[in-house]
Amino acid sequence: MRARDVVRSLTFRYIVRYITALSATVFVLLALLYGVFSFNYFSDLRDSIVDELDALRAVYAGQGLTGVEQYLRDQRRLENIGRFHYLVTDARGEYVAGDLEVVTRYREFSDGWLGFQLALLNWGEPVDADFLARAASLGEGYTVYVARNYADAVASGALVFNTLFRAMIVTWLLGIIGGYVSARSTLVRFEQLNYDLIRIVRGNLAERLSMDPSTGYARELAVVLNQVLDQMAMLMQGVKQVSDNIAHDLRTPLTRMRNQLSQLRDRLDPGGQDDVDRIIEECDGLLASFNALLRISALEAGGRGPGEQRVNLVALLQDVVELYEPVASEKGLTLDFRAGAVAECAGDADLLFQLFTNLLDNAIKYTPAGGRLALELAPAGESIQVAVADTGPGIASEERDKVFRRFYRVESSRGVQPGHGLGLSLVRAIVSYHRGEIELEDNRPGLRVVVTLPAARAPG
Amino acid sequence: MKVLLVEDDHSVGDFVSRELESAGHECLHVSDGDQGWEQARSGEFDVLIVDRMLPRRDGLTLVSDLRREGVLTPALILSALGDVDNRVLGLQSGADDYLVKPFAMAELLARLEILVRRAGHASELSTRLQVADLEMDLLHQEVRRQGEVISLQPREYKLLEYLMRHAGRVVTRAMLLEHVWGYHFDPQTNVIDVHVSRLRQKIDRDFEPPLLNTVRGAGYRLGDG
Repeated sequence: MRARDVVRSLTFRYIVRYITALSATVFVLLALLYGVFSFNYFSDLRDSIVDELDALRAVYAGQGLTGVEQYLRDQRRLENIGRFHYLVTDARGEYVAGDLEVVTRYREFSDGWLGFQLALLNWGEPVDADFLARAASLGEGYTVYVARNYADAVASGALVFNTLFRAMIVTWLLGIIGGYVSARSTLVRFEQLNYDLIRIVRGNLAERLSMDPSTGYARELAVVLNQVLDQMAMLMQGVKQVSDNIAHDLRTPLTRMRNQLSQLRDRLDPGGQDDVDRIIEECDGLLASFNALLRISALEAGGRGPGEQRVNLVALLQDVVELYEPVASEKGLTLDFRAGAVAECAGDADLLFQLFTNLLDNAIKYTPAGGRLALELAPAGESIQVAVADTGPGIASEERDKVFRRFYRVESSRGVQPGHGLGLSLVRAIVSYHRGEIELEDNRPGLRVVVTLPAARAPG
Repeated sequence: MKVLLVEDDHSVGDFVSRELESAGHECLHVSDGDQGWEQARSGEFDVLIVDRMLPRRDGLTLVSDLRREGVLTPALILSALGDVDNRVLGLQSGADDYLVKPFAMAELLARLEILVRRAGHASELSTRLQVADLEMDLLHQEVRRQGEVISLQPREYKLLEYLMRHAGRVVTRAMLLEHVWGYHFDPQTNVIDVHVSRLRQKIDRDFEPPLLNTVRGAGYRLGDG
């Protein structure tokens, strides 16, 4: 399986879409969380600064500047160093008290809030820190500034955000890998299912999909498909049964009709006799079709199979060739027979003879004068291959499966020829009865029919 | 002729007995091996038609039992396709012919006629065959018509021999294929006709009257019926 197929697979695309939606949701949620977190944080920050300013104003009102200076010293002693920073300036804006110096670069936010940056010692290292501050007038020109550092808070928010974002990327990657693996195995199973199904539909409808031991959707599908195949087989069996019954039941009245016609014939003048003879021939053709149909069904039903009777295929094919030699030469065709080896197969000689005469008969029928026919026998491992080749118009590849159907007649390329359209159906029935295979190939030009039969086991 | 039909499949049995009667023959139809045995022992029949698979007594067993009993009435075995085993092929049970179902009625009739005729006269041992002015010397494998030697290919010779042995009777294509080529089935093609017309060229072209006639819808007949 190629990676491209996996990426294109439905399951994989579903997983990617799912991960994308999940990540977007997580992202929005995180952003919202962060927004709410920082809003609350800053609102707390501002409230604490306002409270502190109120406290300082109360101290100034009670104890004046000295009280404030004392308060600031107390705060530092209370190790409130990380919390509030203070600056008291006089009317000219000069430094009076506090742990902050006068800052010249600051931003003014709305509602009297100020923001600035200062280097802060963090574990002995100076680090730029962000401050939020607010001023309050104490009276007599004094102004107090209370500032609070929010760098930590922002940093910790960013840390949370970063961690979660990374986690999300990991989720993404794991999801993609998991998606790839699961889509791959699912796809493999479905492709196998598809392959098996094609094989069953094109070949032996009696076969069924294998129940993969690994459970899941593919298995459920296989169960359902097998049920569909069962129903199909049942319907086909029903149709076959009906057509067999029709063939069987129509033979009786048809035979009676034929006999009455032949009695009638004897009372007619020669001209009338010829007409009746033609009708009798039609009747015989119909009866032959019915018989062929019933024979095909009997063979397909299988019976005991071909048994252990050994057939010398070389001698049998020589007989076929000898039987057909006059027909071929009358039509101006050459007929070659090549046997690559001595070959025996277990089978029914009459049926095998019928099989090859049918094939050769077809070949002669469809090959124009001057053509060449060849019968070739060659061993192929445990099997024997017999090819019947002609130089006729051949059969288009898309028609090759259809020609084995009952009553199917090739009309376009080979021209309609007399016959009941059951010859190749019978051929295939005989081949499957012998547990062999039949293939139609291009002879370039012409048709090459290859029959593969299991070779007889060595005696003893 | 008087026919005993032993067949357990009623649709086949009814069909065959009705057709035999409409062809002017007398037919008794029984449906199991024991009844067949009881009837056939009487020796009243000209020919027996026995299905291969029968309840109570198998068709082949029935025929071999009859032969042991000394009943030599010619017997034809009806066999299902795919059920033709060595015992049927070699007719080891003592049966004289067999047909694979389904078959054409004309084929069955022609075969019965020949069986009955064969039982009538035992000329198989003779070294000479003669039909009108056509003669065959079996010892020297020589054929003459009106005294003139006709040279035949080996297969043509066998074809003619079979036709001469059954002169005056309808011989079907399946019968020719079976006895001349050794394969038993109904060839639905003109392949036998080509062989017959080659033989006809040799024995009939330069002579009058024509001896080898085509019987439409059935087969061939050598000489008068």
